[in-house]
Amino acid sequence: MPRQIFHLDLDAFFVSVEQALNPSLKGKPVVVGGQPSSRGVVACASYEARALGVRTAMPLAQAQRLCPQAVFLPGQFARYQEATEGFMAILRNYTPQVQPGGNDEAFLDLTGFEPLYGPARQTAQTIKGRIQKELGLTASVGIATSKVVSKVASDLEKPDGLVEVAPGQEASFLAPLAVGRLPMVGPRTEQALGRWGIATVGQLASLPLSSLQSYFGKAGFTLYHFARGIDASPVISETAPAKSISRSTTFPQDLWDRRLLKAALYYLSERVGAQLRREGQAARCVTLKVRYEDFLTIGRSRTLRQPSDAHQAFFAAAWPLLEQALERRRSVRLVGIGVSRLTEGEHQALLWPDPGERVRHLNQAVDSMRQRYGFTALRAGLTLPLSQLYPEDQGGLVLQTPCLSR
Amino acid sequence: MKLSCLQENLSRGLGIVGRAVATRTTLPITNNVLLATDGGRLKLSATNLEIAITCWIGAKVEEEGTTTVPARLLTDLVSSLPNERMDLSQPLRSHTIHLACGRNEAKITGQAAADFPPIPTIGEGVAIPVGGDALHTAIDQVAFAAATDESRPVLTGVQASFEGSTVTLAAADGFRLSVHKLALDQPVAEKVAVIIPARSLQELNRLLDGQEEPVQVTVNAARSQALFKLKNAEMVSQLVQGTFPNYGQLIPQSSQSRAVVNRAEFLRATKAAAIFARDGSGIIRLQVTPAGELGPGKLAVSARAEELGENLGELDAAVTGEAGKIAFNAKYLTEVLSVLDSEQVALETTSPTSPGVIRPVGVDNFVHVVMPMFVQW
Repeated sequence: MPRQIFHLDLDAFFVSVEQALNPSLKGKPVVVGGQPSSRGVVACASYEARALGVRTAMPLAQAQRLCPQAVFLPGQFARYQEATEGFMAILRNYTPQVQPGGNDEAFLDLTGFEPLYGPARQTAQTIKGRIQKELGLTASVGIATSKVVSKVASDLEKPDGLVEVAPGQEASFLAPLAVGRLPMVGPRTEQALGRWGIATVGQLASLPLSSLQSYFGKAGFTLYHFARGIDASPVISETAPAKSISRSTTFPQDLWDRRLLKAALYYLSERVGAQLRREGQAARCVTLKVRYEDFLTIGRSRTLRQPSDAHQAFFAAAWPLLEQALERRRSVRLVGIGVSRLTEGEHQALLWPDPGERVRHLNQAVDSMRQRYGFTALRAGLTLPLSQLYPEDQGGLVLQTPCLSR
Repeated sequence: MKLSCLQENLSRGLGIVGRAVATRTTLPITNNVLLATDGGRLKLSATNLEIAITCWIGAKVEEEGTTTVPARLLTDLVSSLPNERMDLSQPLRSHTIHLACGRNEAKITGQAAADFPPIPTIGEGVAIPVGGDALHTAIDQVAFAAATDESRPVLTGVQASFEGSTVTLAAADGFRLSVHKLALDQPVAEKVAVIIPARSLQELNRLLDGQEEPVQVTVNAARSQALFKLKNAEMVSQLVQGTFPNYGQLIPQSSQSRAVVNRAEFLRATKAAAIFARDGSGIIRLQVTPAGELGPGKLAVSARAEELGENLGELDAAVTGEAGKIAFNAKYLTEVLSVLDSEQVALETTSPTSPGVIRPVGVDNFVHVVMPMFVQW
């Protein structure tokens, strides 16, 4: 049976949330990102502003030159977070197989649900209706037999679009589209393909696998299959056992102060470590996530020599990565730390007394104390500077725009 | 300098010293090989400042001289030439060498030999002869257990301790310990213990390939360098300074369970299980069952991978003592079983959380201790 994958993408997400909160903004050019006098960039622009050439990640000053009548908003990330949660909650009403892709989009696997919900197109209309009614947002939907095709389809008739690609029609559906529409094809790849005279997906599909692989390496293999609408990757829902634990936070204002960044990273490491120890797990891999003021987001990973559940080890691995990331000389909007390749606490014994033993005892003692008296009953000295940014309560620091999700 | 030699000999000599040529270095001249006439022979030397290798090849010397040229360039060139007579010459007060072989002529720009770091010479000290073949085996069985990360430098080395008529090689990376005792042809006068970088010994092993004659080992008075003198080559290695852990107490004196199995079968079963252990933390589970009414004793080697499946291999075992179980890292188990050459090995365990011991059966010169992995059984 062919799969039935939905891709839902909220249209102009940040702006639409603002418009839902303040209906007087509807139909106007709106830009979220900050005041044009500030050095920020466009986080999101309404379709009215896009019509005048305003694009995501464009400096705000440039956006104002293109569209002087636009309303500039600083953004309310906590509101967006709520909208995201509402969006995902609606989707989970239809299937447990929901794979969020960022704040404003998700894949759903609705294979086999037709007898229950009726034709796919109708289901998509129902979901769109609920999102409109409950959140005041519009979503564009793509329906196809694979993730890649459904994603291309949802993007095709934005905003408020609905495109269904019938099974077997994937390749012919993609063929006339520009290669840049494929998820794997960024500006650089598009340029490289352009040099070969490849402009459409159909032309891309005519290239032999060997040439794509020799030029693009591993990515060539994926490109070859994507161009034919072939993508067997499953929709991975979050209900599967956690494969990683991460904590991240967006700062109230972009940060450059190393002392504060170090404090935040240490605090988040502590939260990750505490969660991991609560689950009785250890991790082998540490990933640092940084989003800069211009929204460029990077992830850097390090593998630990031994699986560990000590936040000290995670911080020690992540801090040098953050220091490296700061070489870019841009302020930081978000910092996060995640651990993955989890093990159930099995570990290699040492020939001589384990120096990690002391740390394990220390962390156990701190954990039990925090469980009884609250997370902030004990604060690591390194994290004290955070008090100038955040108030605290029993549960820990009240991060203003938390994303304490998994 | 003016000399002639056979392409074959020069190529072999460059291959030998090539291993000591520096690759990433802040001292560019160490990318070069030092050429020097030495009596009726041509001497080739290279060093990366941790080790230096020198070898001699037969040559007909007409004019003495010395220079250095880029090792990689010379090696690649010589290996591409036919096996014929080669003429090397170097005009006076020039660092360019001319090289003629058959109808091929080349010029290579070099650098003055005076700028080349001095190759250490160890004159004083007692040369201890050690059998080449036996040393080769001992290094194979010990050096792999040394640490590869530099966080504790002494652990990246192999301790060689000469005492009486034996030399004991030992290496430990914190998770396992390998110890090999080797008989000396003649006893040493005083006890000497040094830590030789495992990397240096692995290079020495390449030089030892096929050499049965004894190697002369000399340690300098400062205990900072050791010289290994072979038939036509020499290697000098820096020694690691520091105190090697006192490993004697880490070797369990007794065990609850001892299983004697065929080594090749054990290795095969371990490799099969390791395929399944790859995804997790490389955990291999061993279960020893003594002979009973149900049949002969056996050793079960198993691994499982979440979402993938599991594997179980069984082999006959002569078990003394009780049943036992223990989990090891697949890599550690595979490595030790691969370096042994006895037909049978003994696995000695006491509990899932105490060290496991692997010994060859029939020889009493080797012991390997592996720390277990703590797992849920």
